Amino acid sequence: MRPPFLESLGRRRLLVVTGKGGVGKSTVAAALGKLLAEAGRRVLVLEVDPRESIHQLFATHPSGGEILSAGPELWLQNLQPGTVLDRLVRERVRIAAVAQRVLDSPVYHHFTAGAPGLHEMAVLGHALQVVEGKVPGAPAVDLVVMDAPATGHGVALMVAPLLVSEAIRRGPVAALSSQVARLVRDPDRCGVVVVTAAEEMPVTEGLELAERLGRELGRGPDLMAVNGLYPALGAVFSEGPNAASSGEPGDDPLLELWRRRRRLNERELERLAAAWPGPRVELPLYALGRGPSLVAALAIDLGAQLQEDRPGVRRPEGRRPGARRSGDRRPDSGESVDGQAGGRPPGRGRPAARRPPAGNQGPS
Amino acid sequence: MSWRPSPLVVVVGSGGVGKTTLAAALGLRSARAGRRTLVMTFDPSRRLKDALGVGEAAGEREVEVAAGTPGRLDASLLDARRTFDRLVERYAPDEAARRRILENRYYRHLAGSLAGILEYMAVERLFEVEESGRYEQVVLDTPPTRQALDFLQAPARIVGFLESGALRIALKPWFDERGRLRPTARLGALGRRVERLLDETVGLDLLRDMAEFFQAFAPLYEGFRRRAGKVEALLRSARTLFVLVAGPGEERIPDTLFFARRLREAGFGLGPVVVNRVHPRPPGVGAGPEGGAAAPRDGRRLLGWLGARDARGLDQLGSLLAGGPPLVALPLLPDEPADLAALEALGRSFEQRLAAGGGPS
Repeated sequence: MRPPFLESLGRRRLLVVTGKGGVGKSTVAAALGKLLAEAGRRVLVLEVDPRESIHQLFATHPSGGEILSAGPELWLQNLQPGTVLDRLVRERVRIAAVAQRVLDSPVYHHFTAGAPGLHEMAVLGHALQVVEGKVPGAPAVDLVVMDAPATGHGVALMVAPLLVSEAIRRGPVAALSSQVARLVRDPDRCGVVVVTAAEEMPVTEGLELAERLGRELGRGPDLMAVNGLYPALGAVFSEGPNAASSGEPGDDPLLELWRRRRRLNERELERLAAAWPGPRVELPLYALGRGPSLVAALAIDLGAQLQEDRPGVRRPEGRRPGARRSGDRRPDSGESVDGQAGGRPPGRGRPAARRPPAGNQGPS
Repeated sequence: MSWRPSPLVVVVGSGGVGKTTLAAALGLRSARAGRRTLVMTFDPSRRLKDALGVGEAAGEREVEVAAGTPGRLDASLLDARRTFDRLVERYAPDEAARRRILENRYYRHLAGSLAGILEYMAVERLFEVEESGRYEQVVLDTPPTRQALDFLQAPARIVGFLESGALRIALKPWFDERGRLRPTARLGALGRRVERLLDETVGLDLLRDMAEFFQAFAPLYEGFRRRAGKVEALLRSARTLFVLVAGPGEERIPDTLFFARRLREAGFGLGPVVVNRVHPRPPGVGAGPEGGAAAPRDGRRLLGWLGARDARGLDQLGSLLAGGPPLVALPLLPDEPADLAALEALGRSFEQRLAAGGGPS
């Protein structure tokens, strides 16, 4: 039997967490980082966005470019890409004053700002240097979980090192970019997690991303994380004041809204599974604001689902009688999901016990 | 009564908030009111193509939507890469230049993501449409950028980039006919060291390729600068109104406020601020403390929490925008609009809420 998927993810040196804005990419990256740290890996969660926000997820103060402790075996950093190239120049030009003149010169700025792919390569290069212990003052970490920029395609980020390594043939940037180009194409060392939502546009974009990764890098994502799912009605509205109306959700506009959003989620999950049959986790909506509690809740969800060897990949013997197949979706049937056992909750029927118990949500 | 905005409505906002759908709904309502209308959008989903009943042809040109409206409704669903290819086909001075651009590796790898490309295309198309005078109303859905303002600054940025930026002015004079760096060639041994350092840091081959790529575009610069200037003047004129779309919830407020302020500071006309996909507030459910843990499977509580979160966000945004642009809250719909009727209902809902002062209910 194969080991749990989590173990294989944790063996990588770099996990690139990518996806479009608005789907909770940073929160999932933070939860993955927390989970892997709890599993005994030393993890740096690296945010690549000029507007810092990942510190809010760990309730630390802003990183300001530094590496901060965010819990046991866990660190975070907001990276400014320019600093990586500057560091390379300083290493190359040993005389500090001369290095400073180079860094201050408009020619250097024009060139580094204008060269396509250079900043992306530098960001990945930084991650590689951190895990190889080559960044002065950085803690020794086993892997970097990178919260990739929301703008542009995650693919451009990952293709950049190849482009740069073709163009720069000597010197430290050449060496680093060819190392990084090898890293991103090596599925044993670099993992890609695509975060999406079970709605039409995010699923379409997630599938495009998977296709382009395969075409341009010869590798697909390792995991799709579908975030923000409405829990199945049967699981969440089984009792309470409106339980009487459970047979006819149309009676209650709120239940009707929930039921139809959930159905939309299920339809898109089926579409995703049919087009990309790889490992998948499904993460529910929580009554939690953006912060450490939400990260803790998602880390527990991720942990439970990543214990399987192929999360989210339904095998024939694992299919429950009520579960739908991709071929028999009935988007417009009038069936009542409410109150039925057949509705597929986000964790595909796992008990609620894996949710964090009250009062035990903070970093432990 | 239908909303009668300025002749050009620009829908802006972060990705994933429903800009494209709202733009289509506004366009449909405009045509319903009898105006010749064009909806321009980028990288639209198949769902929108289906909803509007237009096929792939709308990626190439303006296509009429069979909406049965008194005013004709056209849609133009732009794909960045294809539009850019066509631009190259049209403007490249000769076959050799055309091939050089299309076969350039930067173009091949990065055309879709190179900074400013989508914005460049939007400006070009908007200019063409404006010049033609074919439409009484244009609704422009902006490309999905993290920062709404990226799009608005794009014409100026692209012009600056072409005129004095890293690529044209900075690059061309740096290289002589033999591809050697000009300034360093004069400096003898020191120059060779500088050249070597630059080569090792940024790669001179890379820069030569880039220079070639952008130089191949040189004949286009002058025209683009003129067109971008006209488009920018149009965007700042009274003929243009911006509709800012935001997601619900308290967490989105800083972003939304930031966009709204920057738009106004930059002199753009900001119209309604739309908070989209607001969860309803369930009757008889208090906001309650947050807690996914205490009652993990209590859907009513989760609904109550989402409704309360969105209501708090709206209240705060309302007081922060007080005296400014109208705030319109659109409820979360059971399904994403998938046909003309649903789009029309969304547009009508927007108009009704705007007329009623924007309230969520």
